[in-house]
Amino acid sequence: MPGSSPYATVPRLDRAEPEWLAALRRHGFEAWSRASMPGPGNEDWKYVDLDFTLDDFSPAAEPSDPLGGDEYLEHLEGACARVTLVDGFLVSSEGGEVEVGGVLDIPDGRIAPRYGAAAPPGIDIFTAANHAFGPAGAAVLIPAGRAVSAPVVVEVQAVADGAVSFPHLTVIGGPDSEGSVVVVYRSAPGAEVLVSPILEVLADQNARLSVSVVQHLEDSARMVAHHQYVAERDATVRIDEIGLGGRYTRQRLGVALAGQGSSVKMGGIYFGDGSQVLDYRVYVTHRGPRTTSNIFLKGAVTDAARAVWTGLMRIEKQAVGTSAFETNRNLVLSDRAKVHSVPNLEILTDDLQCGHGSSSGPLDEDHLYYSMSRGIPRRRAERLLVRSFFDEILSDLAVPRLAVPSRRAVAAKFTGAQQRADS
Amino acid sequence: MERTALRLEGLEASVGDLEILKGVDMSLPYGEVHAIMGPNGSGKSTLCHVLTGKSGYRVSGSVLMDGLALAGMAVDERARAGLLQAFQYPVEVPGLGLGVLMEEAADSLGITEEEAGARIASEARRFGMEPFLDRAVNRDLSGGEKKRSEIFQMAVLAPKVVVLDEIDSGLDIDTVREVAQAVSEMRSDGTAVLMITHYSRILDYVKPDRVHIMIGGRIVDSGGPELADELEEGGYDAVRSRLGLAVHATPRPESKVSDLFTDTPFDFD
Repeated sequence: MPGSSPYATVPRLDRAEPEWLAALRRHGFEAWSRASMPGPGNEDWKYVDLDFTLDDFSPAAEPSDPLGGDEYLEHLEGACARVTLVDGFLVSSEGGEVEVGGVLDIPDGRIAPRYGAAAPPGIDIFTAANHAFGPAGAAVLIPAGRAVSAPVVVEVQAVADGAVSFPHLTVIGGPDSEGSVVVVYRSAPGAEVLVSPILEVLADQNARLSVSVVQHLEDSARMVAHHQYVAERDATVRIDEIGLGGRYTRQRLGVALAGQGSSVKMGGIYFGDGSQVLDYRVYVTHRGPRTTSNIFLKGAVTDAARAVWTGLMRIEKQAVGTSAFETNRNLVLSDRAKVHSVPNLEILTDDLQCGHGSSSGPLDEDHLYYSMSRGIPRRRAERLLVRSFFDEILSDLAVPRLAVPSRRAVAAKFTGAQQRADS
Repeated sequence: MERTALRLEGLEASVGDLEILKGVDMSLPYGEVHAIMGPNGSGKSTLCHVLTGKSGYRVSGSVLMDGLALAGMAVDERARAGLLQAFQYPVEVPGLGLGVLMEEAADSLGITEEEAGARIASEARRFGMEPFLDRAVNRDLSGGEKKRSEIFQMAVLAPKVVVLDEIDSGLDIDTVREVAQAVSEMRSDGTAVLMITHYSRILDYVKPDRVHIMIGGRIVDSGGPELADELEEGGYDAVRSRLGLAVHATPRPESKVSDLFTDTPFDFD
């Protein structure tokens, strides 16, 4: 592939970078050289058949002009720090109580040994390409012992038409720290882009860290994201997922409960309309003893949209006293829409509590009838029930301000689908 | 002057080949409570379903509400026209708050936001539903609380006609009294109330203006509250023998009606 692909012309491998980053890049390049585009034959990619390859996009060589404001950002005034990446490049950062900036601007020793380690390039060709060709990433560091109540807002924009961007963000919650980060993915209207980000979130001992991911890319965008969370001893990680946009958007979402007593609580919603494909692959690994996970995602698809959710919870031998629960509920709101929901457990210890549940189906006719019996017209009752379905998650977000634009976005998408169905 | 809220003429209903209602005639004025009583299998629940617009029945004859023909109207249209029902077994709707449901329903019924807010607040206070407004509809409610919630909803939405399906079943005596009191107040406000019931117990607390006895898909007798007393004394067989109807004249169908359409199960009682 090298030589025939647009990547051969990207002169990143020989630019002046510190050796630790150059070494990561070399490993990434080697992995990328060996990798091929995944297909539905790969277990991790089952149920989807990609209609594009990496070679269809050119790596962004420089950042475009940033996009203006958007609905979510309007609700995120008063952030304690802001970071903006455009086409993968860090274009602005503004810190305060929380240190933010480019990884090359942060003195060695604090970021270098940890950068990229949680999301190794061997996972797939997209992660490998990010390591090999992406610009040096950005970091958010919440200092040890510090508790910050306002969120850090990270905006990841994909702007250049025809480009693939490789954002890389590393978030570190220092020991005994507390803070929250909101990551907003968005793209330029009409731009055919591929976003292939790496997000690493490292919660150190006894840190309490919340990360909210809002994906509201334009429908012309595609995304293959690799998000990896690592929780050290007694760390508490909270993850909120809001997935709305994109033509094909995939998230490989890994959580490693590495330290004893660590825990993760993940809640999320996704809504697909038109011909969107929303693809979530959740991997939770319980490594430390007495670790806790609680995963609860709710999704809906309408028109000819599709959603994939696979959840693999692996409980390793030494992870005694583990509690692991995962649930995925889906509304299938049209005959042409489809969901694959596949929970899985891999249990290597015998001292645990665990459970998983999954369901997919239309709105409950009895619920509709009951609402209509109070005078609410059918279409309105459907909208009310869809809102109620998601409200179980949206009324309990770590950053409650994200609920209003999320409710509005879901309502707009569903109302549009109803109108299309009626016309 | 007495005004008719609800008039049924020759109302027939069937499911598949099974005729359930075989010509029901009755007239319910505003400001009156009528009880429809009947043994299991007499068609009471079907009457309730047919009045409120549940699909799955082939219906003929006419139902007029305040002169408006309800034939062909869906459940939500009937509700907006002013006919509401309290369910025997109201469903739980996860995630949908009772207060939100009432706001949406009131808005659908053309009640202003201000008026709806005031009614929700005052009726919630009256029925002790304040703690339930922010909770999902019927979620984790006891049988009595569910019935109270149904009555509360009727009070907020203030329809012309209320159909109460077995509102007293499964209630302790205190709750029966409370529900009866609410029904009496609706009557005083001019609402027409149709109570479909098995037992006459609730009628000890809310005196009906008329009692209709339904057997075999027809109203076989109508009269004052004393009819309910006769039932209490001698059961339906006493009524049948007085009217010269064969005792056990309505054998149960061999197959249960609910087998005929599994997607809309209902109680055939």
